[in-house]
Amino acid sequence: MSEFEPKILAFLCNWCSYAGADLAGVSRIQYPPNIRVVRTMCSGRVDPLFIIQAMQDGFDGVFVGGCHLGDCHYQEGNYHTLKRMDMLAQLLDESGIGRDRVHLRWASAAEAHPFADYVTEVTETIRKLGPFDKEKQRLALASLARSLSGSRLRWLVGIDRQVTEKLNVYQEKTDPEYFKKILQEAVQAEYQKAMIQELLAGGPITVKEMSEKTALPVYTVSVRLNELERVGMADIAGYDGRTPKFVSPAM
Amino acid sequence: MSKDVIGSVMVVGGGIAGIQSALDLANAGFLVYMVEKSPAIGGVMSALDKTFPTNDCSMCILSPKLVEVGRHKNIKLLTLSEIESVAGEAGHFTVTVREQPRYIDMEKCIACGKCAEKCPRKVENSYNQGLNKRKAAYVLYPQAVPLKYAIDKDNCIYFEKDGKCRACEKFCPADAVDFKQQEKIHTLEVGSIIMSPGFKCFDPGIYERYGYGILPNVITSMEFERVLSASGPYEGHLVRPSDKKEPKKIAWLQCVGSRDIREDAHGYCSGVCCMYAIKEAIIAKEHAAQDLDTAIFFMDMRTHGKGFEQTYNRAKKESGVRFVRARVHTVEAVHGSDDLKVMYSTEAGELLTEIFDIVVLSVGLEISDEVKSLAGKLGVAVDADGFAAAGSFAPVVTSRPGVFVCGAFAGPKDIPQSVMEASAASSASAALLASSRNTLTREKSYPSELPVGGEEPRVGVFVCHCGTNIGGIVDVPSVKTYAESLPNVVFAADNLFTCSQDTQENIRKAIQENRLNRVVVAACTPRTHEPLFQETIREAGLNPYLFEFANIRDQNSWVHQHNPEAATRKAKDLIRMAVAKASLLEPIDSLQIEVNSNALVIGGGLAGMSAALNLADQGFKTYLVEREGRLGGHALHLGKTWKGEDVGAFLSDFSKRVESHQNIEVLRGAEVSNIDGFVGNFTTTVQAGSETREIQHGAVILATGGRPLETNEYLCGQSERVTKWHELEYLIENEPEKIAKAKSIVFIQCVGSREPERPYCSKICCTASIMTAIRLKEKKPDMRVYILYRDIRTFGQREELYRKAREMGVIFIRYTLEEKPKVEKHGDGLLITVKDHVLGRPLQIPADYLNLATAILPTEGQKQIAQMLKVPLNDEGFYLEAHIKLRPVDFSTDGVFVCGLAHYPKPVEESIAQAQAAATRAAGLLGRKTIDIEPIVSVVNEEKCIGCGLCEMSCAFGAIRLKKIIGKGFRAENYSALCKGCGVCAAGCPQRAIDMKHFREEQILAAIQAGGAAA
Repeated sequence: MSEFEPKILAFLCNWCSYAGADLAGVSRIQYPPNIRVVRTMCSGRVDPLFIIQAMQDGFDGVFVGGCHLGDCHYQEGNYHTLKRMDMLAQLLDESGIGRDRVHLRWASAAEAHPFADYVTEVTETIRKLGPFDKEKQRLALASLARSLSGSRLRWLVGIDRQVTEKLNVYQEKTDPEYFKKILQEAVQAEYQKAMIQELLAGGPITVKEMSEKTALPVYTVSVRLNELERVGMADIAGYDGRTPKFVSPAM
Repeated sequence: MSKDVIGSVMVVGGGIAGIQSALDLANAGFLVYMVEKSPAIGGVMSALDKTFPTNDCSMCILSPKLVEVGRHKNIKLLTLSEIESVAGEAGHFTVTVREQPRYIDMEKCIACGKCAEKCPRKVENSYNQGLNKRKAAYVLYPQAVPLKYAIDKDNCIYFEKDGKCRACEKFCPADAVDFKQQEKIHTLEVGSIIMSPGFKCFDPGIYERYGYGILPNVITSMEFERVLSASGPYEGHLVRPSDKKEPKKIAWLQCVGSRDIREDAHGYCSGVCCMYAIKEAIIAKEHAAQDLDTAIFFMDMRTHGKGFEQTYNRAKKESGVRFVRARVHTVEAVHGSDDLKVMYSTEAGELLTEIFDIVVLSVGLEISDEVKSLAGKLGVAVDADGFAAAGSFAPVVTSRPGVFVCGAFAGPKDIPQSVMEASAASSASAALLASSRNTLTREKSYPSELPVGGEEPRVGVFVCHCGTNIGGIVDVPSVKTYAESLPNVVFAADNLFTCSQDTQENIRKAIQENRLNRVVVAACTPRTHEPLFQETIREAGLNPYLFEFANIRDQNSWVHQHNPEAATRKAKDLIRMAVAKASLLEPIDSLQIEVNSNALVIGGGLAGMSAALNLADQGFKTYLVEREGRLGGHALHLGKTWKGEDVGAFLSDFSKRVESHQNIEVLRGAEVSNIDGFVGNFTTTVQAGSETREIQHGAVILATGGRPLETNEYLCGQSERVTKWHELEYLIENEPEKIAKAKSIVFIQCVGSREPERPYCSKICCTASIMTAIRLKEKKPDMRVYILYRDIRTFGQREELYRKAREMGVIFIRYTLEEKPKVEKHGDGLLITVKDHVLGRPLQIPADYLNLATAILPTEGQKQIAQMLKVPLNDEGFYLEAHIKLRPVDFSTDGVFVCGLAHYPKPVEESIAQAQAAATRAAGLLGRKTIDIEPIVSVVNEEKCIGCGLCEMSCAFGAIRLKKIIGKGFRAENYSALCKGCGVCAAGCPQRAIDMKHFREEQILAAIQAGGAAA
């Protein structure tokens, strides 16, 4: 059997990494033929949802290339990318898929060699991880997509630089470490709730069943379920003996 | 100067220089007549396989320009035409042009090639350097512009046998053959003339000992270009002429016809041969099916341009090209075979012989007799070598007012330098004719756009072979067949060069015949070629945003050269993704913004002053910011140019002109602290002492200059007897008694240049040191003057100085990077030890003074300005232009231009030419009231938006803001003119209420889904 050839999606920004990739071509620097490029004007266009979609669509990993920090053609687009990719990495760890499937690198328009090296390195990393089993990870992917579609994480990651580096509306600065903690908690909560919502959508289902499918303790499932119930996102559908079964409310 | 100024320009010669001039001027509001003596434009560049140092495919980068000239409303092409006479004066010339009959009606010819197919007469194909045959009915090359056949009267049977044959006429389906055509005389009124007639290759027949013309496998470098070319005689297969055998060993002999003072040869250095030989050797190795040994026999390796030295290093280390420092005395046939015996002597005097399959003679550039006689007709003076006589301070101005020069006719040079001069000549013309701008030109109009809304997508796919660049690796026909099978694809084609003019016609035809409403081109890269194809589909009535590019060359065939199957697979995937996205593309209306017509020039050295003065002469208000208290920059330290002109005298006059110009405001002692805005609308904050000024301008030219490396090598800074650069000149000038006492003076070259941490050549130091050495010898002939060098790089006509220095007794000793000279204090003076390259043993030189040619670096502060404008720097910190060959003064960022040392070390005349070129490019922008900007902007879905304001917070351009909507609270709104189209707001919107035109979520997701699916 021949060696596993991973299929990697690459988002490259028009001004730096895409230009660097072209320069690698002009300089005839050879690298593995595993990436499929989607050009965006800025790496800041890359919605983390696109990355989850890529994994749902059959890619084994994703590469995001942007300008070096400070060199962004759009001034700060890549700072947004950095924050989003950092949040996504936490989510991927939370889901058990792991952050090694997604890589962010900076390559300037002049950096043909580094670009080729990054592609080689990322290809080898993902080759070692082996094929991504999207069927096995169906629940995880759907939950990731759900948490990334919700407004909470999107808002938090978007506000990060505003409140930690600039000032909030009360002219205060938030301690970056404190903010990091809030984001970590939100990542965990949103992902756990998303998993439960995915299961409820296919319900009716008991807390115990949910705990088995999500590998979360019964206590955690109960807490998240309670949170969902309070905002009208979960309902009791009936009882299996004395055990309640839950579903998502009829729309 | 005539009072009746005509708003048109004649460009004589349709090579790359002429093409650039014509495009600059036609886009700046002048009517251009382009006169070309052959049946098609393109010149030498069209016949090259690749271009150094990037090994870009020559045709690929030239073709968009050819096409643009061919379809420009304000350029009139006169092919097969030559100038008869010129009357009148600057501003108003009357030119008589003689046009030879083509014997093909250009209006009727559809370029089907039937005439050539049926023509019974075979003749030597001069375009392919005689390596194969063509017919008497022919087209110069497949991508020719205009793409019209011609009949070669001198070889046509009809003309030889009094009306017999007529095969072409009989078979032409368009009834285009017309033997009755007569020559035409055109009388044209023009305001100025630009001469860009180009060069011819030196004929090496005079060197009998090289066997050219007798031994079939001894060929010229130009012939070798055609051998390598996909459209050449062997279709890009590397074989030798005699028996079409694949070579195992190829030798290049440098300086054939150059740096040779015998009669019939040329004393000057042709300036480009070292680089093209390296390029040919690297490409040959890539083309070869088997291991290929390549050897370049040279005297000095002259890789002095931007990126050249790095290419030289790569050729040695990565490609394994052999460099042999020796002049070959004889090439002979090996008895009983077509192989060649190359005999040469090494520097140590050892006689060696080596057998090669092909010997390539690196022939120099020369001016043909026809061009010399053309110069005579125009009354333009030429120098002893036949080049147009032009001064360093006005590098494109000829002896006749109103006639300008650019390209190789103004001295041997490479493509970027020709392109810069071409733009400089345009700027000189535009300044001369400023009062008649826009008097003779017409605006381009397009057919009304076909409505595509509501229609099913009908996608056409065009897959490019790019000669062998893609086709040599990727199985293009199978990719094309695959494309046909994709959803929504109703048409697919493959083309040798998708960018050529005939393919543009084919694309337009395919759109009409197949009712295509989306187009995908799979080729090189959108970064260079997307505008060309967008223009083409626009001409066919499609909105330009109904176009998508699949990058299957720069990011595929070129980077997977050893894996054709994977590259083919990847090409199919990329096309599938492009088609999926294209199917969802929608038309986007154009956006226009107003242009502020002021210019800002940063840096008041020679380059900055030249750019400012040129813009001001063209009528644009220009701000010139200089950090120091006075204008002049480095030129203040220069004595003379290499041509002997007095820099100081020029400079004082020049600064006065700049300072007193009514359109120039000079800000001295001032630094730029911030630059905001974008093309057409910049706001720059300038700090001058305690005063802060804000300047509004439409374009910015970066002329921030350079500085010499400070070093402590060779006792620099530790002994007053060690000087650098112009410090020695200063001693000669101001403390002559010290020099009068000196018995021995040494120069060391390449101090800090061409070293691992600074791998580039500083270009001007060899000439500078040799000039000072000559000056010392003139003052005191018995002084011992030594120049310790690695390669002497007196490129072009500077070679004369090198010869003169040797004749005067300056001693040149070569050292290597591994064995650098050693300098120690010795009594009052110095003792320098260097290994002599001829004797092979150490030599001790007592010296009174040592002058160091240290590397030239970009100025401090260049990085900050680059960051303010978001323009890139190269590894060495110099500005990285948009394209090293054809856009040498532009950036990818519109409205920003570069010139002078900030771009790369260069001599005075090159700095000035580049500055004038930058001024032309800026003027092309500033002369317009409005410009079209990219309408790729964000759109807000008001139904989804909840007015949270995150987008407003994250937009760096203030382009998306909350507005109050009665009954709904706040909603986000996009300000298109400010929006740059990055997409940060769309990717971050918590409600997912924002999308980006042309990069819509559904379009990107469609591409991802198509990419993830198994083929």
